[in-house]
Amino acid sequence: MLDQILAGIVSIYNYRIVAQYVDEFMRGGANTIMAAAASLALSIALGFLVALTRLYGSRILTAAMWNYTQIIRSTPLLIQIYIVYFGLPLLIPPAGKWPEIVLGIIALTIHTTPYMAEIIRSGIVSVPRGQREGAIALGLSPAQQYRLVILPQAFAKTLPPLLGQAAILVKDTSLLSLITVFDILSAGMLLNSERIKPNEGFLSVAIIYLLIYLVLLVLSRAAQRRLAGGVAGGRAA
Amino acid sequence: MQRYADVFAAVAPFLLQGFLETLWLSLLGVVWGSLLGTVLGVVRGQQFRGFSAAIGAYLHLLRGTPFLVQLYIAYFVLPNTGVSWLKWNSQTAAIVSLGIYTSSYVTEIVSSAIRAIPRGQWEASFAVGLTTIQTLRLVILPQSVALVLPSLGGVYVNLIKATSIVSVVGIAELTRQAEIAILRFPASVLYIYGLVALLYFLFCFPVLMVVDELERRSRAKGAGNGNAEAGASR
Repeated sequence: MLDQILAGIVSIYNYRIVAQYVDEFMRGGANTIMAAAASLALSIALGFLVALTRLYGSRILTAAMWNYTQIIRSTPLLIQIYIVYFGLPLLIPPAGKWPEIVLGIIALTIHTTPYMAEIIRSGIVSVPRGQREGAIALGLSPAQQYRLVILPQAFAKTLPPLLGQAAILVKDTSLLSLITVFDILSAGMLLNSERIKPNEGFLSVAIIYLLIYLVLLVLSRAAQRRLAGGVAGGRAA
Repeated sequence: MQRYADVFAAVAPFLLQGFLETLWLSLLGVVWGSLLGTVLGVVRGQQFRGFSAAIGAYLHLLRGTPFLVQLYIAYFVLPNTGVSWLKWNSQTAAIVSLGIYTSSYVTEIVSSAIRAIPRGQWEASFAVGLTTIQTLRLVILPQSVALVLPSLGGVYVNLIKATSIVSVVGIAELTRQAEIAILRFPASVLYIYGLVALLYFLFCFPVLMVVDELERRSRAKGAGNGNAEAGASR
């Protein structure tokens, strides 16, 4: 009975073949996570600068950031990746020798920054005016106002959408396989092309992406629950 | 300058043809994605226990995997199952996966729009003797449309952008036409991708502006109501 069930599973999804490709999947997974983590960190840092520019910058800078945001929102990520991949080496010749993953990270960062900026900006705006005025009244410098009063409160509001954007970013890294970065999807395609086993190749890829997504989902739920508890406590007080 | 004009004259007809294919794909995708999404969203809005869990799992499956992987599964894995009607060509695989991708967003939007309609509307409808189907058709859905429309515009833009990905299974849409044009004019890679980006931009940007404006209006309305309520509770 058990043998039959196992045979049935193997006929659809032969995990023994997948086991032979564990090394490739690990290597691909490492590249996917590295690309996602690097672009996440860079786009948060740049997104913070863009958010500050949109809030306090001169009119010209604000307009420039608005244009940048709209251009990114209105064109497909794949085209943006191709433009960076083919265009950056023309602009900076040494970039032609950089590994593809570096160009991919640059493209993903350029793509994700406006979304991060919007999340961070609405987090900062959501902190009530009185908090800032209170901080000024206490004689804090603008840097101190941000570091001690505004950012800690904005962070609480920002964390759940930020994790959602991180989940989107992980999925977006799959497009880097099209500029020959060896990511999870490339590992699955390698299995498929060497063994002609699409089920084992692509279902494994889907499962790995789902696992990453579930981890981020659980984190986001936990963050929301803790932060929601904080808000309710604040109201009761 | 002359070179740019020459390349433009040579590739413009093909890019335009690709753009029409992109519009056609996105139209098919949005039509059947919206149909599927609306049905699933209405069912989910009813809060039947078993169905809601199943639809929730469907949404997580779609949201947890990249569109490119979904496309490869539709294109490589489903024909491999041996079921004859799943042996799709690239065109069908592309349209099916675009529609399913769209349905995941539409389901969420429709079900939350239905939940946003006050309970009293349901109760009043039942009180005047309408059945559940009649209530949905005559009372709930007409009111939901106004809530759904701005978000659907955003979904449509997402879909247009996603169609660029089906170029990898050989559909001759805008991005694929650009790749073919680049084979003919390898020196103009950036110029051709720039033209393509401009075409996408010219189509998506106005839609996004309308969406933003509608959302701003509905938020202003919502904020007004919220303040009124807060004032009343004080």
